[in-house]
Amino acid sequence: ATGADHAVGLGLVGFSLLLFTYYTIWVIVLPFVDSDHVVHSYFLPPEYSVILPGIAALILLLCVGTFIGIVTWKNRKSKKVN
Amino acid sequence: MTSSLCVCIASSELAQSLPVSFTMTKLLEWLFAVSLVGVAWGLVTFDLLDFQFPAVYREVAWPMPVYLLVVFGCYSLATVGYRVATFNDCEEAARELQGQIQEAKEDLKKKGLKI
Repeated sequence: ATGADHAVGLGLVGFSLLLFTYYTIWVIVLPFVDSDHVVHSYFLPPEYSVILPGIAALILLLCVGTFIGIVTWKNRKSKKVN
Repeated sequence: MTSSLCVCIASSELAQSLPVSFTMTKLLEWLFAVSLVGVAWGLVTFDLLDFQFPAVYREVAWPMPVYLLVVFGCYSLATVGYRVATFNDCEEAARELQGQIQEAKEDLKKKGLKI
């Protein structure tokens, strides 16, 4: 892999490591930390640790559904023309 | 790979009844394991048996399903990204192939095929 492919691949790895670390600290480490520690200011309230992935999953489903719809519609249109 | 599971009723009065056997498929194994984990999670999160755990246990346990999904998503993303980054390109072979495709296209166009 060279150039752009390499960069994109490494970017994906880095992003997923970052996301994993942040989310793990948010869900597993924070409940054991005193509520007046300064680290809590870097994280939203813990309810959002479930709501935000839920919203992300909905957006993903929306994108997948839209893509399927567009492809189906284009296919139907081209079939009608033929 | 399936394994036959033979359930024989051990008590003396029911010994005359036939042993019941069913094949444990992978799906059944997974469903069984998932339901065990699900019941354990439900017990801790909703305190169904009134264990009265310390509040920390509940706080850590209740996002667990979403957390495991996110972790699985991160792992998938990292695996895909890593394999894209370390993919074994063969640039010379790619150029050769492109040249052959052009050759084939021109040849077919000459013979009348519309591309």
